[in-house]
Amino acid sequence: MRHIFLSCLGWCALTVLGFAQAPPPASAQGGTAGDYKSSTAEGGADRVFNVNSDSVDMENGTMQWKGTTMNLGNSRAVRARFERYLAAPTDSGDMKRYVAVLDQIQFLLSAQSINQENYYRNQQEAFNLLFKAAEFDIDANNSLTIASQVQKVWVMKQEFKQIEVTKAQLETLRKVQEGIIINRADVIEEANAANEQAPKGATKLGKASTGATELGYKVKDEARTQAQILAKDAELLALGLKAKIEFQSQMVSFLMARRYRHSLITSSFYRVLFKGGSQNIVVGAKEVKEFFPISDFVPTLESFDMLSREAIKDVSKGMQTVDDLVKQGELYAAFERLQETYFLGEFEPVVMAYPQEKKREMLALWRDLRELQRLGDERDLGNVEGYVNKIRGRARDFPGAPILSKVSNAMNASNMSLLSAKGAVLSGDNAKAEAALERAAKIWPQNPGVKDFATQVVSRQDTLAQKIPEFDRLLAESKWRDIFNKKLEYALALAQDKERSEKLRKVVNRVGELDANIQKASVLATQNNPYLAWDVIVEVYKTESDDLVLAKTRSDIAPLVANYAQLIGQAEKLERDGAEAAALTAWLAAQDLNPASLTCDASVKRLAKSVAESAVIRATGAVPAPPAAADAEEVPVPPSK
Amino acid sequence: MSKINPLYFALGIPVVVIVILVALVAPRMGGGGKFADLTPFSAETYRKDWATLQGNSYRLECQVDRQLSYVEGRGRVLAVKPIDKDPSRATVRIPIFIPAGTSDSFEVGQRFKCKLRVTRDLLVVEALERF
Repeated sequence: MRHIFLSCLGWCALTVLGFAQAPPPASAQGGTAGDYKSSTAEGGADRVFNVNSDSVDMENGTMQWKGTTMNLGNSRAVRARFERYLAAPTDSGDMKRYVAVLDQIQFLLSAQSINQENYYRNQQEAFNLLFKAAEFDIDANNSLTIASQVQKVWVMKQEFKQIEVTKAQLETLRKVQEGIIINRADVIEEANAANEQAPKGATKLGKASTGATELGYKVKDEARTQAQILAKDAELLALGLKAKIEFQSQMVSFLMARRYRHSLITSSFYRVLFKGGSQNIVVGAKEVKEFFPISDFVPTLESFDMLSREAIKDVSKGMQTVDDLVKQGELYAAFERLQETYFLGEFEPVVMAYPQEKKREMLALWRDLRELQRLGDERDLGNVEGYVNKIRGRARDFPGAPILSKVSNAMNASNMSLLSAKGAVLSGDNAKAEAALERAAKIWPQNPGVKDFATQVVSRQDTLAQKIPEFDRLLAESKWRDIFNKKLEYALALAQDKERSEKLRKVVNRVGELDANIQKASVLATQNNPYLAWDVIVEVYKTESDDLVLAKTRSDIAPLVANYAQLIGQAEKLERDGAEAAALTAWLAAQDLNPASLTCDASVKRLAKSVAESAVIRATGAVPAPPAAADAEEVPVPPSK
Repeated sequence: MSKINPLYFALGIPVVVIVILVALVAPRMGGGGKFADLTPFSAETYRKDWATLQGNSYRLECQVDRQLSYVEGRGRVLAVKPIDKDPSRATVRIPIFIPAGTSDSFEVGQRFKCKLRVTRDLLVVEALERF
C-alpha cells in the first residue's frame, strides 16, 4: 500500500513540471540491495518493519525481507490475494491444536528427544502426526508432502540395503575368483620352473603353457565381478544423492513459499534421516547465502532453520504491532503493518486467524485507498481532497497533508499553464497557447478553467466578428470616448490585428491625456483657481471639442470665468480680424485677471512681437474692419473642430 | 561804483525767480502741459471700439508697466497703465508702440505724457514728455 501512495505522490510530483518532489518508488531488486547493515534476525526484522522501507512492492509483486527479494507473483494477483484475505472469513480450524501438532513433530525429531533407542519410533510417530496435521484446512496438505518425501527416503533406504547385500555377495564371489586365479598362476609358475631345471637334451615331461587359457578366463570373470561391485557403488551413490537433493529441494521450496513451519519439519526429518556426511547444503545454497551477506558463508541446515524461525518470530511480532496500533486508533499504520506481515507470513496461523471484524475494517480502508489511487491515476485532483478527508476520518494517522500539498501544487501548475495559454492567445501565439493548454489539461484534465477557457475562445471568435466593424465605425466617426469606454473589449478583439491595435492604443492615449487635463481643470476649479482651469479647458478644447465630458466640464467652469472668457474670446476674434494691437489689449486685460496664465503670457508675447514687427506696415496699410461693439460682449465660442 | 540802488537787486532777483518758477509750474498745475491742446485718450472707448478712434491724436498720461517687445529698427511695444485722476477706478493696461529713433529710455514705473495717434488699431506714440 505504501508503494501505492508513493506512486500516487510520484505522479503528482511529476506533473509539477518534472519536479520530482516525491520519493521515487524503490526498485524491487535494487531498492535495498546491498544495504546489509545487519544480517541478524533483529536487523532484518527492523528493516522489514521500518515504516520507510518499501518491503512490499505491489507493482512488481515482490517483497524485500532481510535484503532479499521474494517474488510474490503477479502484481494484480498479489493485490487480489491480499484483498481476498481481508474479505475472507477467518479459518475456523483450531489453530492452537494445529500449531501444537506441528510443534510435537518438531519435538519428536529434535536432538533433545531422539536417541539410539527411540530413533525409529520417534520417526514413525512424527510421520504419523504429519497425517494429523494434514487434516487441518490451513495446512493445505503440505504435511502430506513431507510425509511422502519421508516415505520415499525410507523406500530408498530399503533399496540401499538390498544393493549392499548384492554388493557383499559380489565381493565374496570376487574373492573366490581371485583365489582361483592365484592358484592357477602358482601351478603354471611351478611347471615353468621344473622345465628350466631339467638337463639339456632331456625330454620335457609336459607343456610349458599348461593352464594359461583357463587362467585367462578366470581373470576375466574376476574383472567382471569387480565391475559389478563398482556399478553397485555408483548406484548407491546416485540413490543417496537423489534422496538428498529431493529432500533439500522440498525444504527450500517450503521456505521460499513462506511455509516456515513445514520447512522446519522437513529440516528436522532431513537431519534424522540422513547421516552426518550428508548434512551439507546442495540445493538452495545460493538463495540462503543471499540472506547472509558474508563472503565465505557456508549454508547449513541450521541456516534454513534460523531463517524460518526468524520469519515466524517477525510475523508474530508484526501481528502484535498491528493489534497494538489498532488499539491506539492508528488504523493506517496498522494497515501497512498488516500488509507487510501478511506477505511475510500469510500462511502463519497467527495471520490466518486474524479476527474477521478487524479485517473488514482494514478492507474498507483498503478500498478507500484504492479509490484514492484511482483518482490519482485519473488525475481527478478536484476529488482527491474529499477522499483524503474521508480516509482521514477512517484512519486519523493517514498522512494526507503531503498528498494535498502535491495536489495543490499540481492544481497551481495547471492553472499557471492555463494563464500562460491565455496570455499566448492574447499575443496571437497560437502554437504556444496550444502547448500550454495541453500541458494544463495533462496535469489536471478536469480543471474547470480549461473548460471556461475553451468557452472563452469560442466566444472570442464571435466577439471578433462583431467588434472589428464596430471599432472601424467609431474610429471613422471620431468617437474616441466611445472607443475608450470599451477599450478592454477592443483590446481583446483586436489583439491579433496590429494595425487596429495601434490605432486603439493611440485613441486610448488621446482620451487618457484628455481625461488627465479635464481632471486637472476640475482640480484647479475646486482650488478656487477657475481662470487657470479655463486655460486648460480652452487649450484642450481646440482639439477635443466633440468630447462630451470636456464639454460638460467646460460648461461647469464657464460661469466662474465669464469676463475672462469674454476677454479671451474677444482677443481671439480681434486677432482673426487682423486687429492685433486691439487683440493684444484684450489679452493684457485677461492677463490682469489671471496673471499666472501661461496662455495669456504666451499670447501677449506673440502679439507684441507681431505688432512691433508690423507696426510700420500697419500704419500705412488698409484699415481692417473694426469689430462690432455687440460682438465684444458675447461669450466666445471655441472654434469647432 | 554802481549807480543802481542795491535794493533793487535785492527785491528784483527773487521776483524774477518766482516768475520763472510760476512759468514752469503753472502749465503742469493746469493739467494740459505740453499736449494740453489734445483730447485725453479713453482706454475704455478704445477697448470697446477702436475703429471710432483711428486717425485721431490723443494725449495720454501713463506709467510704464513692462516692455512687451522690442524690434531693432522698428521700435518697441510697451504695456502702460493710464494714470487716472480718480484713483478708485481700476485701470487696464494698454499697449503703445514707440517707433525706433527716439533716444529715450523706458524703465518700469516711469511716468510720462505723450501724444498718441491711433493708426488702425495701433497706438503710436508721436511725442512724449516725462514728468
